[in-house]
Amino acid sequence: MGIKSSVSLYSLQYQFLQGKMNLEDIIKFVMNLGADGIELLPDQMLHGTPTPSEETYACWDSLMAKYHPGLACDDIFLNTNLYINRTLTKRECADLIKQEIVMAHRLGFDCIRLVSFVPAWILEPCLETAEKNNVSLNIEIHGGLGFGCPKTDEYINEMLRLNSPYVGIVPDTSLFVRKQPRIVRDYCTKLMGLNPDIAKYADDVFASGTDFFELRNKNGGEMDPKLASLIRSGADAFYAQNLEGYENRPLSIMDGLEKYINHFHFKLYEMTEEGVEYSIDYREVLEYLHKAGYQKYVSTEYEGNRWQLPDTPIPEVEQVTAHQKLVQRLIKEVEG
Amino acid sequence: MFDNNVFIEGTCKNVEEDGKIIGYEMQTHITYYRGIPLSMVNFLAVEVDGVKEDPANIRFAVDPYDWFTLDEMTTVSTIKWEYGTPGTVRVLKEGGLSKGEHEVHLTVCTRTAYIPVPLEGNMTRKVVIE
Repeated sequence: MGIKSSVSLYSLQYQFLQGKMNLEDIIKFVMNLGADGIELLPDQMLHGTPTPSEETYACWDSLMAKYHPGLACDDIFLNTNLYINRTLTKRECADLIKQEIVMAHRLGFDCIRLVSFVPAWILEPCLETAEKNNVSLNIEIHGGLGFGCPKTDEYINEMLRLNSPYVGIVPDTSLFVRKQPRIVRDYCTKLMGLNPDIAKYADDVFASGTDFFELRNKNGGEMDPKLASLIRSGADAFYAQNLEGYENRPLSIMDGLEKYINHFHFKLYEMTEEGVEYSIDYREVLEYLHKAGYQKYVSTEYEGNRWQLPDTPIPEVEQVTAHQKLVQRLIKEVEG
Repeated sequence: MFDNNVFIEGTCKNVEEDGKIIGYEMQTHITYYRGIPLSMVNFLAVEVDGVKEDPANIRFAVDPYDWFTLDEMTTVSTIKWEYGTPGTVRVLKEGGLSKGEHEVHLTVCTRTAYIPVPLEGNMTRKVVIE
């Protein structure tokens, strides 16, 4: 037993969208990388979720029997705004999550990741179904919505109150960004004409050990005034808003919450030619997790795919391959 | 961010029914990374050679069976636009697009509960009608 590597199939979404790889190709590819498992977004690569047809289930079952992937996590979202004229009621929301739990169990998962902003009040009414189906519910803790964000803190307080093995968290390494993603800066510069002064300022802020989420919190919930002063165009505003989604926190912010971590997202913005992730120090992350006794999955989530210039190939296969190579090597090294 | 999902190249053509051209249509992927029910499509908009089409003439389908107006789609919560499955945007217009080259612009706008702004994707393509 030890830390297990997996790949969120989100990482290969454009291969799927463009018809270059189907679900079978993707699962086969991931398992051939030596990963222990996969993370699935059912409403991305399966039809008719959360109540797919028997035919869809049979197809899934045959893929599982053929490739035997570990099932790291089922990644779902709650469409509270299903209708444009009203928000779903609490009962409607709980019923939807219960359907997702039943589907997760049927697919073979025992861990659900709830995307940020799924409300904390969903947990208690769904707990019995979670227990019955042996599926834990875990909120994503993402950069820009991390510790200190009211919605996230509300969830954590509810998690501590319920104190159940079926309620936990999925931290995302966008909380531990040491350099702003170069690929985003380049995209906004080349395609949108970003003001270079903002990019330079962002580099300085990250190098000084802080981030724009923290600066906003220190500024009473308003954007850092210097960042705001450098915005001169829609492109600058877009980039500035995006910057607030990367946090530069110490790993120790998870101290005390280790037992609630049921899954971990290893964000990938850009693997460099040197074989490291440009923004995140994965040795630092894995050393922390190993020391904390973590023995579950860590999932590659490639997000650089959305920052490719139009009409250029999206290097999902290459980037995921390089990231898995790094993660699998580092797991071996830190575990000795 | 999702512009490249919009308006699949080479799919725009006139539509003939009972020997009459009733309009034109094009295919597009969703402006999101998950499949969603049709009620979560905020709007679709089409512009040809700089002139906006009347939204009342737009129809949308994700399968060969059911076509919806934009208004009707707001209540369609059981039919999903699946990720990776093209949807068809049809504009009802007698005679369709005239012969020759046109600049056709498609906007697809969806919403999600956790991204505060609707997810709009835009694409303009040169279309030749022969």
